[in-house]
Amino acid sequence: MKTHNQLPSSHSLVESRFAYLFLKALKELNKNRPSSPSIRDTYRRYNLIRVSAYGLMASAVRPRRAWSRATLWKIRNRTFLRALMKRSRTRSLTRRVPARGNPKKGLGCKLVKDLRKLVPGGEEMKFCRLLNETSHYMKCLQAQVQIMRNIVDHYST
Amino acid sequence: MDMAGEDASIEPKIMSSQWQLNINNLTNTSIVINPTSNSNVESSACSSNSMADSICPPIWNQPVSGQSLGYCDMIVENNTSTSNTLGNGTSSIIPVRPNAILRESTFLRDFPVILPSSLPHLPADSGFIERAARFSCFGGGNFVDMMNPFRMSESLNPYTRDLASEGPLEVLAGKGSKSLPVMQTQTHEMNAIERSMEVPLPVEQGTEGSSIKNDKMIEHFPSSHDEAIFGIGLSAHEFAEAEFSGSGIQGELEDDAGESSAKELGSKKRKRTGQSNNGSRQAANETAMDHAEIQQQGYQNRASSKPCGKHDKPGSQGSDLPKEEYIHVRARRGQAINSHSLAERVRREKISERMKFLQDLVPGCSKVTGKAVMLDEIINYVQSLQRQVEFLSMKLSTVNPRLDFNIEGLLAKEPRAGPPSSLAFSSCVTMPYPPLHQSQTGIIQAVLPGLGSFSGPLQGSVNPQLTTVGGRFKESTSQVHCAWEDELCNIIQMGFTSNDHLNGQNFGGHLKSEL
Repeated sequence: MKTHNQLPSSHSLVESRFAYLFLKALKELNKNRPSSPSIRDTYRRYNLIRVSAYGLMASAVRPRRAWSRATLWKIRNRTFLRALMKRSRTRSLTRRVPARGNPKKGLGCKLVKDLRKLVPGGEEMKFCRLLNETSHYMKCLQAQVQIMRNIVDHYST
Repeated sequence: MDMAGEDASIEPKIMSSQWQLNINNLTNTSIVINPTSNSNVESSACSSNSMADSICPPIWNQPVSGQSLGYCDMIVENNTSTSNTLGNGTSSIIPVRPNAILRESTFLRDFPVILPSSLPHLPADSGFIERAARFSCFGGGNFVDMMNPFRMSESLNPYTRDLASEGPLEVLAGKGSKSLPVMQTQTHEMNAIERSMEVPLPVEQGTEGSSIKNDKMIEHFPSSHDEAIFGIGLSAHEFAEAEFSGSGIQGELEDDAGESSAKELGSKKRKRTGQSNNGSRQAANETAMDHAEIQQQGYQNRASSKPCGKHDKPGSQGSDLPKEEYIHVRARRGQAINSHSLAERVRREKISERMKFLQDLVPGCSKVTGKAVMLDEIINYVQSLQRQVEFLSMKLSTVNPRLDFNIEGLLAKEPRAGPPSSLAFSSCVTMPYPPLHQSQTGIIQAVLPGLGSFSGPLQGSVNPQLTTVGGRFKESTSQVHCAWEDELCNIIQMGFTSNDHLNGQNFGGHLKSEL
């Protein structure tokens, strides 16, 4: 029995939670797996896994971060969003908010817009907060990639 | 803990690195300062004690004993409950600890400790209630508001004058920790109060009044310490950057607090303590009185501070303290002052600080300068990370799961999922999923890394594990496991039901739209 004198750091908590959830999800997904998967099935699985990866990461982080809340919301309302987009054919739900509080109007506007697109929930944030969310999001993404890579390696060996 | 921890983990990192810079710059003496660890605030608290130890000797000759600098006591007696003697002489030196230490700290804990020791029996006072109400209004917790009663009581002034000739304060001034003007003036006031309470005074009313005020100040201090501390931190930095304008640390110094909530307060405090910064270079008694006066005026003018009456002080260092009813702002050299540019400056500093942090996160970006390039790199990196996630999920979807899992292999391969997280697994599992665990032991052992090795002692030692790992796990898992389950079910069910929609989409192009 190992003795643990130190509390794990905050981020490793998130990572461990994510790993646990993700493995569980994979387990569940693999339970119902057909023996000879068609490409469709594979694609289906791929999407499921992808969505679950993001969603579980967001739920592991808890809805304390704007990006995790945005991700969870998008996942929960995926069908609704898709229907809406198909009907209207416009990105009605992603409102174009001009980059408020952007210090570099000339140079960085395009870059900031791209960043807002990348980070979930980054559309309606001030630039300063966007940077915060980006840093946290990047950390979580790194952890996610690491864990997934480990799992893949484990599977493949 | 997550939010506070994760947020705090970013901020204290930045702040603690700046502590070192601050401390190295601010203390002009040849005090050797042990490098503080950049890791946690807890460890930094302990290292602050060691730093306090190192600083202690030069100051220790001075008779600081009786007047426990009550406020400063808190700073050092942080998590360790060391005796007052350690905290006393040294704490006044620590310039910018407050903002980081006290965030996590034991202010709330320590203040009541101070109260019974230092305060005599306080008679109820009608003025008490009035002042208490006034304090609670200014939820920002300005020292200003706390200082106001001192302004009103004339009897304090003789004590501040007394303090002017105090040994430690001279030492403080002499040691060039003029970077602590606010601390000084406030310790003046605190000292005045403490002394007024501890030493029997001829003026009884003054004693009682000041003690009541002190009590109030201390009582309401915990409610406002955060912002007050940020204010102090910011003001100290403001002063420091004025002092060492040549150094390139200005930006970091000014933005040490880094909290948007304290931004407003900080900018106001900077203005107010600009005056006190000036004054502290002069005799200390003048500082105290002027500070109190201008605090009061500042308080009166606070509502109209920004639009009206700013005097430009472009880098003037030694000007006298003008006693006018305006908020004076300390400017950096060559920078104009008006309300807009101040806020702009604060914002810019915050943004640059965050960009620096991002720079550390993105690998291979240490040499990149400039926001645009940095942003570009960040965008590329985030895109690459997302693409990697997609690729890995694709890989996972095609790989056949093997029934015989190598648990140790999994455990070894997850670098961060080391012993702590395996413990996390076990406690996570035990709390929300006890029935699951017992029924499907084999499967879960296979899936979860590290659980297999724990399954034996796990059931027997659930409680100790939980206690050792901390309430964090217990409360987090018990509160949120429902959400996880729901999430899991939602995602998978929705995935199964809505697959037909997915098939029509492209592979990776609609990542954002789908998610």
